[in-house]
Amino acid sequence: MKKIFLIFMIVFTAQVSLAQVKNIKGVITDSDGMPLPGATVAVQGGQKGTVTDFDGVFTIDAQKGQTLVFTYVGLETQNIAVGDATTVNVQLKTAISNALNEVVVTSLGVKKSKKSLTYATQELKGEELVRVKDANVINTIAGKIAGVAVTKSAGGTGGSTKVVIRGNSSITNSQPLYVIDGIPLFNGSPTQPNGTFGDTNGGNRDGGDVISLVNPDDYDSMTVLKGAAASVLYGSQGANGVILLSSKKGKEGKGNLVASSVTTFETAAYLPKFQTEYNSKGDKEDTVDHVKDFFETGVTQITSLGFSTGSSVASTNVSYANTNSSGIMPGNSLKKNNFGVRQTAKFFDDRLTVSADGKYTSQTINNRPLSGLNFNPLTGVYLMPRGNGNNFSYYKDNFEVFDPIRNLNAQNFPVINEYVQNPYWLINRAKSEDKNNYFNGSLAVDYKVNNWLNIASRYSYDRVESIFDKKIYATTSDVIAAKTGTYINIANLSTQRYGDLIAKINTKFSDDFSFNAIVGASINNTMANAQTVLNSGTTNGGLVNTNWFTLGNFKNNNLNQQVAGSNREIQSVFASTTFGYRGMLYLDVTGRNDWSSTLVNTDKLSFFYPSVGLTGIISEMTTMPDWINFGKVRASYAEVGNDIAAFVTSPRYTILGGQFVAPAVGPRPGESLKPELKSEFEVGTEWRMFDNRLGFEVSIYSSETKNQYVQVPAPSTNPFGYTNYAFNAASITNKGIELVLTGKIIKGDKFSWDTTINYSQNKNKVKELPEELGGRVVLTDPGSNAYRFSLVEGRPFGVIEAFTLIKDAQGRIVLNDLGKPQVDQNFKEVGNANPDFMLGWSNSFKLGSFFANVLVDGRFGGNVMSMTQALNDSYGVSKAFGDAKNAGGVTVNAVKSDGVTPVTKISAEDYYGTVGGRSGALSEYVYKATNVSLRELSIGYTFNPKSLPFVQTASVSLIARNLFFIYKDAPFDPNVALSTGQGLQGIDIFGLPTTRSIGLNLNVTF
Amino acid sequence: MTRKYIQKSILCLGLLAAVSCTDNFESINSNPQGSTAESLTQDFNNITGYSKVMFNYVFEQDPLWGYQIQQNLQGDIWSGYMATSNPFNTNNNNMTYNLVNGWNGRAWEDAYTFVMSNALKIKQATKDKGVFPELYAMSQILKIEAMHRVTDIYGPIVFSKYSSEASVKEYDSQEEVYNQMFAELDEAITILSNSADKGVATILTNADFSSYAGKYDKWTKFGNSLRLRLAIRIAVKNPALAKTQAEKSFNQKYSVMTTQSDTFIFKSNFVNPVYGNSNEYQDVNMSADMESILGGYNDPRMDAYFDFSVKYPGQYKGIRTGIDLPVAPEGYSKSLRKDFSKVGKAVNKKETIFLSAAEVYFLRAEGALRGWDMGGDAQTLYEEGIKTSFVQNGLAAGAYLSSTLLPKDYVDPVDSVNNSAAVNSVTVVWDAGASNEVKLQKIITQKWIAGFPDGQEAWSEQRRTGYPKLFPVVKNTSNGVISTQFGVRRVNFVASEIAGNSGGVATGVAKLNGPDNGATRLWWDTGVNF
Repeated sequence: MKKIFLIFMIVFTAQVSLAQVKNIKGVITDSDGMPLPGATVAVQGGQKGTVTDFDGVFTIDAQKGQTLVFTYVGLETQNIAVGDATTVNVQLKTAISNALNEVVVTSLGVKKSKKSLTYATQELKGEELVRVKDANVINTIAGKIAGVAVTKSAGGTGGSTKVVIRGNSSITNSQPLYVIDGIPLFNGSPTQPNGTFGDTNGGNRDGGDVISLVNPDDYDSMTVLKGAAASVLYGSQGANGVILLSSKKGKEGKGNLVASSVTTFETAAYLPKFQTEYNSKGDKEDTVDHVKDFFETGVTQITSLGFSTGSSVASTNVSYANTNSSGIMPGNSLKKNNFGVRQTAKFFDDRLTVSADGKYTSQTINNRPLSGLNFNPLTGVYLMPRGNGNNFSYYKDNFEVFDPIRNLNAQNFPVINEYVQNPYWLINRAKSEDKNNYFNGSLAVDYKVNNWLNIASRYSYDRVESIFDKKIYATTSDVIAAKTGTYINIANLSTQRYGDLIAKINTKFSDDFSFNAIVGASINNTMANAQTVLNSGTTNGGLVNTNWFTLGNFKNNNLNQQVAGSNREIQSVFASTTFGYRGMLYLDVTGRNDWSSTLVNTDKLSFFYPSVGLTGIISEMTTMPDWINFGKVRASYAEVGNDIAAFVTSPRYTILGGQFVAPAVGPRPGESLKPELKSEFEVGTEWRMFDNRLGFEVSIYSSETKNQYVQVPAPSTNPFGYTNYAFNAASITNKGIELVLTGKIIKGDKFSWDTTINYSQNKNKVKELPEELGGRVVLTDPGSNAYRFSLVEGRPFGVIEAFTLIKDAQGRIVLNDLGKPQVDQNFKEVGNANPDFMLGWSNSFKLGSFFANVLVDGRFGGNVMSMTQALNDSYGVSKAFGDAKNAGGVTVNAVKSDGVTPVTKISAEDYYGTVGGRSGALSEYVYKATNVSLRELSIGYTFNPKSLPFVQTASVSLIARNLFFIYKDAPFDPNVALSTGQGLQGIDIFGLPTTRSIGLNLNVTF
Repeated sequence: MTRKYIQKSILCLGLLAAVSCTDNFESINSNPQGSTAESLTQDFNNITGYSKVMFNYVFEQDPLWGYQIQQNLQGDIWSGYMATSNPFNTNNNNMTYNLVNGWNGRAWEDAYTFVMSNALKIKQATKDKGVFPELYAMSQILKIEAMHRVTDIYGPIVFSKYSSEASVKEYDSQEEVYNQMFAELDEAITILSNSADKGVATILTNADFSSYAGKYDKWTKFGNSLRLRLAIRIAVKNPALAKTQAEKSFNQKYSVMTTQSDTFIFKSNFVNPVYGNSNEYQDVNMSADMESILGGYNDPRMDAYFDFSVKYPGQYKGIRTGIDLPVAPEGYSKSLRKDFSKVGKAVNKKETIFLSAAEVYFLRAEGALRGWDMGGDAQTLYEEGIKTSFVQNGLAAGAYLSSTLLPKDYVDPVDSVNNSAAVNSVTVVWDAGASNEVKLQKIITQKWIAGFPDGQEAWSEQRRTGYPKLFPVVKNTSNGVISTQFGVRRVNFVASEIAGNSGGVATGVAKLNGPDNGATRLWWDTGVNF
């Protein structure tokens, strides 16, 4: 702590200037008008020199007649004679190389010159985020950044997205931190499914996340900080990497209005295959494949308006976006409105900059698609008994029929149980509505104390309200609804309050040595998922008066409750310094100390972690051949701490329905919990050559996250009544390589072709799982089903385990006395959910005014499982079942129970009746997750602005997403997961089929 | 709040957190909906809150599927009370002797998570502080009511070492568990009996959710009756101890239950979960054994226990357990038999009987048969038991006591492969000249009928005595582990223990005297009756 005060003492000591000459100031920008921090200004022949600050601003003392020399590595040096003017603004032209003049936004919103970075970052320009627009901006980054795995939830439009950077590194959470203009975003989700049956309280639902609520048009660029070294300043929240979004800012003197309109049409792609030859009794009967007719064509319209203007002292941005979407599932629709205002103003001779930002999003989703078996309309669609007079379209039109005994309209379907019900009944009589309201307000002040010191402070408030409302009418399956109907209403509130105070120092010791540093402190208080749950209950509850959905009509109070999700406060101090030597060598040293409320009652409340990095610009140090424009090597080492779950160290009883409930989790006796610690070593190199037409960047990293916070089922014989024990154990290692290759293959005035290849490979391993856990942590409990998702000692993160077929030593299926296959109910590893490597290949073409972009996205290795297929088979509705019937049975390599007599055919009923189903041998339903798809395609035309009145730019394009798979093994899209949490990965249980979308994108700037 | 927070934030930031601002971390890190010790002492909330949970989990009251896998698909089936039309796990399940670990751990977990942990909390708030001995005694009786059922399922269990925080929790042998239960019952009965003697006002009222309204004398009777039940269980294994404990119970000042008003009835917030499992989940129906015995005897209690079959109006129709139920291609089809007789009005109320006066008469009848001092001869006590059971169901026994009807053959109207001749051949009427074995069969058969629907207790007694004889399973998928002749003798140790307390499980296996599977006989399961 003393050191920090010392720095401040130095900072606040007044600078004494003895110069008797005039003071000249100005801004140095690059050819695009972007400010250049760290550019050098010197008086020719003199000793005096200075560097520009983060906004490219300099001040220097000089006499009239002297010459100022403006230099910036990689840009053409300019000399300007001092005249009468006291303001000199300079635009430096691009020199041979442009690798050196790039400025990237780094941690805490600090801009740095990219060449000085000691770690890997990758940037996406704003246009990449909106070119083939998705209602969730994060879905558009798939395949565009090396090392980033993007998995959509099966929740349809408005669903959340799982993003994993450089592999899963934590048992509890591997999602990155999102940061908007330097301020962490609260990106919690009210709920994520983690059960194979589906939640009985309204089904397996994706509660959505916050990042899906932001307006993609508000942002200028996105930067991904991949490693720990890059994100160390964000502390525990940034341990899994950071995704930075920078807001669009009004440019000086330009008022403009940007309008864009996107309309896309979504269709269900890749449905399971069904048979149409046998009825539900297994007898020959021609039936209709009704499944494809169930799905509708979804339409998504996103209209967005942005207005911006600026002057030398103020800028304003106002944005509005409207999203209107109907899903492929009947009855599913989404409405979203985004509002944004951003105002920046400068005061006191531009020394003080104040910005205020406000954003508000409201979203309503009707019938958000579910996964799992309960309440899911898809089970009824797929599994409805075929034939025997069962006509799907009849049940569509007559999903309810009048029941004179109860004097109400009752559900009508050949089978009604908790898994299979009339889909149209569920859509119309078990309707759900999800409402999300997101508000973010932030204030930032930045005061320029002197040439080399800025002090900035920010405060931000996030508030997310999510309301889930489901009205379930009487005659819905008794198991999941009361006889008189069930009402569920869950109001979920999360807030985050963030404040920081940062000093930014940017100076030079001498011409050779530059120094910049940030020293700061922050406080972050989150209250996540405070819920008020109203639930009238099922068999033991319900409504007094049938189908009157309001709290006053509840039979009892047994399930109504207030639930605290998690509350935490993290206080931090941090410092980061960069020493530069002649623009060719940079040394980064950072440190951060966190105090977390979750560590109360443990041995230590606070934890410290450092990072160090070194970069050398080889092309500046030595003379390179002409064809090499830029060469850099870098290395870094970082540690990041990660605190533990809230409330665990202060366990308390709660109460539900008047009944005491023991704390679900508490520390394991005899141990003190401590934070997780991730350490990462990374080396990399970047090169540009052939007139910058070819570039590549390679990063190799190795990380280990130790002291994982593990929550495992406590033996029920524990004397505290805990369901789970929490303790530190296990470590997860990730080793990988990332390669980014960029090429301007054809560069001409008429035609150009730019290409980028992103390749990443990650190997992870779970280590040091304690023996008393049997070397295993179960992430998704199987219940009485045959799928389990676990961490297993020595295996990659996330192993798919399942029941298997009993086979003999020769690999033959051993049949029982009845001639049926037998299921081994001991879980065995049957696959793993991690890809071996990922490849993204994006291309952009320009031909005159036409342009085209093509993104091919591939994921190689790993496995997925389909419980959907297993159930379709066991219900005898699948094509596989029909084919087997036609072939006189399933061809197998089996042996009778005597162990001698070989068997080559088993009847379809006997085989799928045992192997299929939710608790059959799911090992037979494992597929390769490898897939290659044409992820994005856009073909457009840019209008000549001169030919259009009032218009600055205009373009129109045809866009497509998920157009087709070039290769795929699984019967569903392996890039869709049922949960964006850590569990329930690599499995499909009646998830919404993936969609193919095609549409039109229109952009106009006035 | 926000303003205060901002002020604090600014202060903290201003000091660069050099000074501790972490004073409120404890309150931030505490669940705002949680309890605090201080908030709970009023009205004995710190005791009644825990006891209510204990009551609710002897038979798990809510949710329905909890009871389903705690007892309904185990004891309620294996006792011969009920059967299912549902081919769970494609007929590879408890019914066909392929024990489903995913279900069978529930009884264990309910007992420890909800009964043992809360009993310990009550002990800490009472005995450990030297206060409220009656509340402690009550909680001990409840605990034993729950835990004897658990040891009768698994055998060795964690009992004497429960409060230990050691990472390996040792199991006690079943004999050790029984001995400790006897000792703890002695302690509880003494406390309650002494307080009953004093005639002081009860402090149990808020903590007692039974029909007893906190009365000390009634709880003493319950304690004695429970001790008698445990004594009978070990009548062959340890005859001397059994006799001592049984006679001590009967001769205790407040003795055992004798009238229907003594029956211990838990007044729940929930309808007896057996009812919902049968009528809402439609997963259990009347068994073939019930149809054979109640039907053969033309027993008037049939009407209270079961409804007419919807499929065969005017008939009581049961399902035979362990048959090859149709699976493919209809997946979960149970349509062929789900409309056989469902469980009826006897359980369609918010009551669960823990121990009945009728059962106590049958316990005494067996004791008398064994020559113990039970205050009457076997015949009198046997007939009193039947009469009390009829009273319990709002009926009068009348001529039933002299009935000579025999159990009837079973016919499965869906598939005749499941038909069987009756396997029991005793009548209702007492026969003084019959052998002790036949007399015992009569006593146990009537106790079996009277004890409906508590299949866990009935299964224990069926294992101990072999009565009533049950229709053997048609389909045995245990791969030779569990014999069709002897059926399921116990449940293997639970998965959560193997995962989290494997060292403890090893001590349990060592005390099992056999492999850890469903065929190993428990300590008291001797296979002989005399």
